[in-house]
Amino acid sequence: MKSVQFSVASRREGDAAIIYPKGYLNNLSGENLVIECGIYIGKGITKIVVNFSETDLINSIGISMLLQIIEDLKNIKGTICCTNMSKLLRDTFEMLGLMQHMLVFPVESDALTYLKTGKL
Amino acid sequence: MSTELKKALYNISALADLGQAITSENDFHEKIQSVLYVITGTFLANKGALLFYDKTTNKLSTLTQKGFAPADLNRLNPKELMSLGRNEPYLIGDDPVLAVAGAEILTPLWVRDEFIGALLLSGKLTVGPYTLEDLELLNVIANQIAIALNNHSLFMDLSDKLEENRKLYEEMRHIYHGTLQAFAAAIDAKDAYTKNHSHRVAKYSAAIARELGWDEHEIEGMYVAGYLHDVGKLAISNTLLNKVTPFTPEERAEIRKHSTLSHSITAKIKFPWKNVEDIVWHHHERLDGRGYPEALAQESLSDGVRILSLADSFDAMTSQRPYREKMDVQSAIGELRKNLESQFDHKVMLVFCKVLDKEIKGELPEPDILPHLDRDSDLSVISALLEGIIAELSTP
Repeated sequence: MKSVQFSVASRREGDAAIIYPKGYLNNLSGENLVIECGIYIGKGITKIVVNFSETDLINSIGISMLLQIIEDLKNIKGTICCTNMSKLLRDTFEMLGLMQHMLVFPVESDALTYLKTGKL
Repeated sequence: MSTELKKALYNISALADLGQAITSENDFHEKIQSVLYVITGTFLANKGALLFYDKTTNKLSTLTQKGFAPADLNRLNPKELMSLGRNEPYLIGDDPVLAVAGAEILTPLWVRDEFIGALLLSGKLTVGPYTLEDLELLNVIANQIAIALNNHSLFMDLSDKLEENRKLYEEMRHIYHGTLQAFAAAIDAKDAYTKNHSHRVAKYSAAIARELGWDEHEIEGMYVAGYLHDVGKLAISNTLLNKVTPFTPEERAEIRKHSTLSHSITAKIKFPWKNVEDIVWHHHERLDGRGYPEALAQESLSDGVRILSLADSFDAMTSQRPYREKMDVQSAIGELRKNLESQFDHKVMLVFCKVLDKEIKGELPEPDILPHLDRDSDLSVISALLEGIIAELSTP
């Protein structure tokens, strides 16, 4: 299977940052995801939305990256929201017990509404 | 699909990730980094470290880690780790000695009877202890990592030894060349008129050999032959070597002994290059068989002999001698051309002209011949002459 070169894009919306990982999160290039989140955390952002619409697959290396982000946000009492996840991704996170450490929303706008208003 | 089955599939996939990380073409640091990510991702650990045991210093060094305080990892005593099971995960709990690093689980890495290092994990994100399946998986992973680290260590040992040998060889080569140069200086010092002759002949010979496409080892052999071709002159009297008036037949015969003496001296040296002694022996032979000492001709003369013969003659002609003025470069080239086939080899002459012409035109970064030629030489005239000879000799 030919994997798409992993890349990360992001944007800021109010007091939240939205991160767009793209490609297979399976190697050291996934560190860019941690770096990107770290940049926002460094700027004082405590709410991060990771939109997985362009990431269908994640392996143990990718999970490790995600753990790092969860840990970094925990340390500053921040929130991580994951959106647009494929069933495979959601099943993996669920099986590993990661769902307890993140908020999951079907789409990005739901996460942003929640972060803005505190309700869905 | 049940959660247990999903977890089992995830673990299998993690082993595949590990294999991919270990066998990737990444450099060692990147491999190890990936390996640690695979492990922390598999066991959902926020802290992980891979330590390597250096048996020469009896110390553990951190190859990669995340989450641990470096100072804590340094407090681990390798002896304590060696006493634990081989590649068996050890739950540290309240162990007073091992708890110093702040790890929850520690796996000593072994290959056969060799202690390689340790893998440490801590900060499991999900609640609950490590399961039996976790420990079994960690054992499999530890076996693989230990082999990978051991292979790397063996490779590094080999690389170090190779590098050490290379340095030794370079040092020996340096000494070798220094000795040769001292020899050449001793030869040239006997004759005030041939100062640096051996050095120049060595340079010219190597330049021709290089242009002929010889490999570096062969070129070096040619260079050495150039340096030593007149070593036999050490046994010829200074008075004779520096004689201003023409030689008598007896004196000429005496002088001519130098190439055989050169051979006798060099034959006692075990050179790493082929035929050095043969080349110095026959550098005064001619293609028409009228040379000395053995009057060899044509096929009996190796390429090395032909190169040295031309390089020696060219330098002799363009250098001042006690019995004659030095020739200008054009005349010397003309003389070489005039004696083609009878004395000098067609192919060697063509290559000599090509390399000198390239040097004049600045096409070679480190010229070997040009810096030694008369500074008053008109290079454009020489180049035109060389171009003419090259065209003529290149015609089938």
